[in-house]
Amino acid sequence: MDTRPKIALFQCQWCLYSEPDQHWVDNELPPSIHLVKLSCTGRINPLHILNAVQGGADGIMISGCLPEKCHFKEGNLSALCQHDEFLNLLDYIGYERDRIRFVWLDLQDRGRIQRELADFESEISKLGKAKNLATRINEPSRGQHV
Amino acid sequence: MSEIKVKLKTEIERLFSEDAVDVVIAFKKENAPLRPQPAFFKSVDELDNLEYNSLCQNNLANYLTRYPHDTLIGIVVRGCESRSVNALVVEKQHPRENLYLIGIPCQGIIDIKKIIRKTGEEVSDFSEDEDQVSVTVKGQKVTFTREELLHDSCLRCVHPNPINADVLLSDPLPEGDPAIARQAVEEFEAMDKDERYAWFQHEAERCIRCYACRESCPMCYCTECFVDHATPRWTESNISPAGTQAWHIIRAFHQAGRCTSCGACERACPMDIKMTYLTDKLNEDMQKVYQFEVGMDDETQPPFASFNLDDKKRFVV
Repeated sequence: MDTRPKIALFQCQWCLYSEPDQHWVDNELPPSIHLVKLSCTGRINPLHILNAVQGGADGIMISGCLPEKCHFKEGNLSALCQHDEFLNLLDYIGYERDRIRFVWLDLQDRGRIQRELADFESEISKLGKAKNLATRINEPSRGQHV
Repeated sequence: MSEIKVKLKTEIERLFSEDAVDVVIAFKKENAPLRPQPAFFKSVDELDNLEYNSLCQNNLANYLTRYPHDTLIGIVVRGCESRSVNALVVEKQHPRENLYLIGIPCQGIIDIKKIIRKTGEEVSDFSEDEDQVSVTVKGQKVTFTREELLHDSCLRCVHPNPINADVLLSDPLPEGDPAIARQAVEEFEAMDKDERYAWFQHEAERCIRCYACRESCPMCYCTECFVDHATPRWTESNISPAGTQAWHIIRAFHQAGRCTSCGACERACPMDIKMTYLTDKLNEDMQKVYQFEVGMDDETQPPFASFNLDDKKRFVV
């Protein structure tokens, strides 16, 4: 169990069109993957990503609708520019950019989320434990915000 | 330099006599010769204390947001301050018609810490001319060139002249060289990622969370900062490594497209932490990707505040 990298999955609640996929994500995720469900990827604040990193996640995957197919028309586009820049900043201070991945899911992509997660997990395993940012896990609250 | 002070005084007196301003934000003398303080002049009688020299550390635009919108404010601005004021006007923190910008082309701010490091604390007198700065320490006069005392961010300054000022008190200076401004970021980028992280870690771990950088920054005007939130608690507010790193990352990121590289944060920092290498990088990206430079006019919204459908071409594969 401990050998598997910890992954935080930020998922837009509109991006999985097919019922089985959503059911799988909601109920059958492996324990090493932590699900954060959002109303839109535009809801993600850079602080959410940073919090996940500092809470001990080795990788972060963000799955959302294709930008022009956003449930809220175009709301996530401006936020996406911010994420892009935020990754640049993290990369600049030495955090591996590959640890954070965006996935755009399309209507046709049934079962893709499983494949993407498996692919991402193997990639993160190759990178090893994240070390280039301090985490909260050794602190008294054990990484949990109470 | 005292010539500028005389001009500044006559200009402020004129403003008061014409009733054009309610308050003038400028600097006043303090007992310690190295530390002029920000001052808020409300009448001509108070002007005896007026001071202006290269030791004025604060970014005066910081105090703009503390007044109601209908206050007529006269404010002394140097290059970076004028851009901060413009950025604040864009963010609707004060209407431009209620502002009177007294522009002074700036030769750079002298870093007090550099003087103290070279001479010790007992500086009793300070004088300056075009290229030279002299201080009196224990009765002895010591002279430095201006270059060696300038603050790091002033050495990298690109726009020394106030932009959009209502009046300029002296002739404009030549613009700075963007290549020199980029040097610090380029040097940092040239290191590999572990070295970069080691550098960042070394800077962040000294932080004592006094938030002097936030208080001195004109763009940090939120009434409640994310670090002060109790629910949800965004980051650790203690001095743990995770807490200080999160503070430095997010503080810088909230400045994306808004920071004017005035360096007030670094000058205010009691722990001598470097911060501008983060914001400079963000500024550079803003210029590269969005062709946006903050504070060059008082209309253009910063990239993350505005939204353009063309932006999606950048990241949709």
